[in-house]
Amino acid sequence: MQKVTRIVDAALSGFLVALMIAMVATVSWQVATRYLLNSPSSYTEELASYLLIWISLLGAAYALRLRAHLGIDILTRRFRARRRRATQIFAYGTIIAFSLIALIFGGGWLVYVTLDLNQLSAAFQLPVGYVYTVIPLSGLITIYYSVVAIRALRPEKDEEPLEEEGPYPRAAA
Amino acid sequence: MSLAIVILVVCFLALLLLDVPVAYSIGMATLLAMLATVDFMPAASTTAQRIATGLDSFTLLAIPFFILAGNLMGRGGIARRLIAFARALVGALPGGLAFVNIIACMLFGAISGSAIAAAAGIGSVMHPKMVENGYAPSFSAAVNVSSATTGLIIPPSNVLIVYSLASGGVSVAALFVAGYLPGLLLGGMLMAVAGVVAYRKGFGRDERVPVREAFRRFVDAAPSLTLIVVVIGGIVAGVFTATEAAAIAVLYALLLVLLYREVRPRELTGVLLDSVVTTAVVMLLIGASLALSWALSFENIPQDVAAALISLSENKIVILLVINVLLLAVGTFMDMTPAILIFTPIFLPIVVGLGVDPLHFGILMVFNLCIGLCTPPVGTVLFAGAGVAKVPVTDVVRPLLPLYAAMLLALLLVTFIPEITLIAPRLFGL
Repeated sequence: MQKVTRIVDAALSGFLVALMIAMVATVSWQVATRYLLNSPSSYTEELASYLLIWISLLGAAYALRLRAHLGIDILTRRFRARRRRATQIFAYGTIIAFSLIALIFGGGWLVYVTLDLNQLSAAFQLPVGYVYTVIPLSGLITIYYSVVAIRALRPEKDEEPLEEEGPYPRAAA
Repeated sequence: MSLAIVILVVCFLALLLLDVPVAYSIGMATLLAMLATVDFMPAASTTAQRIATGLDSFTLLAIPFFILAGNLMGRGGIARRLIAFARALVGALPGGLAFVNIIACMLFGAISGSAIAAAAGIGSVMHPKMVENGYAPSFSAAVNVSSATTGLIIPPSNVLIVYSLASGGVSVAALFVAGYLPGLLLGGMLMAVAGVVAYRKGFGRDERVPVREAFRRFVDAAPSLTLIVVVIGGIVAGVFTATEAAAIAVLYALLLVLLYREVRPRELTGVLLDSVVTTAVVMLLIGASLALSWALSFENIPQDVAAALISLSENKIVILLVINVLLLAVGTFMDMTPAILIFTPIFLPIVVGLGVDPLHFGILMVFNLCIGLCTPPVGTVLFAGAGVAKVPVTDVVRPLLPLYAAMLLALLLVTFIPEITLIAPRLFGL
């Protein structure tokens, strides 16, 4: 599983950096066409917004891997190791349940319905359903990373000291 | 109150307390409330749809760009240059190093748009300097924590962009201009309190800086300060939108760090990935909060709250006071972004009905929630500032008390004198 995780990490982070570069380039191109060429491109706004949806949802899965999501540990940090592990498993269980129901089932259904209705985007005239495929994809990766995190909490690995600052260190937001 | 709302509130608070990440607590509470109201598939797919379509906004695109620009400049030694400049200006006054901390936070927050980045960036440089000069470590941390929030009111500010979205289209340009005077007022009040405390306790001063040296430091800091002028100037003059300005800020910051050779091209991937992660954390919070806000309006909560508030009083001043108290309470346990997205649709229609300008209400709301960022139990800036200073959070709270008082007084002034907020945007015709 560790090998697979390393491959997923590398692929996901590489893809996210590429998406970010594409987003900066797209909006820069929009500024350039508007002020330098004086003919604003109608495609850039739509493309950049869709890139943001992809970056946000795939990045959220990657943020879970880095434990960058904000959480409140005022209660759980007082717990002893055993109960603390139980709450951490509960937290990841909640994330798995949400990802399965809302992102995979709900998101998958959303993709199916928008493709079925053949809803087209304003500028590109492409099916919007393709944009939404990121929702179930993000759900799958989130569940995978949650399982990886829960496995790392197994009791036999208890010799490793628990982290000082709790399961979700606060990210610079 | 319907069953769905009880489920929503109870689940949210329970999940939050059990250290489920905030975004997932909000998402799960929304999903469960929806499941109690409608069938399985509609509930699941509506939650997914609200999250995804909520993020489909050109205005929101400004947020990742400001985050990226802030990260680039953070690596580029911008905090160091701004502090050197501020020390030349006010360092030699009584309480001068506290003033330097506050001014540097105002400038840095204005560039990076992040209070936590300001608390960490400025605090890590200023705190050792202040302690060296006889400042009590807990007081130094308290000054840093309270002043870091000014960066959220002084533009460019990501939370004002979030308010623009939540309010259904209050202009970002107008909000940015409106933030200046309240932000300066807050900075000034904090300086007054910090100055009095530092003078009475006899904390040390900085050495005086010769004029020639002061000028050299200004030149050194000028390229960073120019960024604010370009970004805000461009937005206010209507030359570009907030999103375009943010993209320009990224290109400018990139050019600057490559020219200074402070970030090697190879390190850029790391900066980009950091920015992606911060962006995703914020965006998931935004998406989930928008879904929750939608569920609340589906249950007619905004109308119910409005009816309850109006039955209390129809006096504008009373209602604003009540809302301020509610928001202060919310701010102690809820982060700023979800609080804005959830409570703007509830409170804004009420106060607009009583004749409050949406612009004024936005600044008031951000100002209010800033205080919550500095208070336990959930004060992200408080934790960041205490962490940088390596002082226990509980020790920082006592020296923060007079600074809280200054913030509250400034909040009351901003609440009851709308002109403080509205005069600048009017001047620019926004």
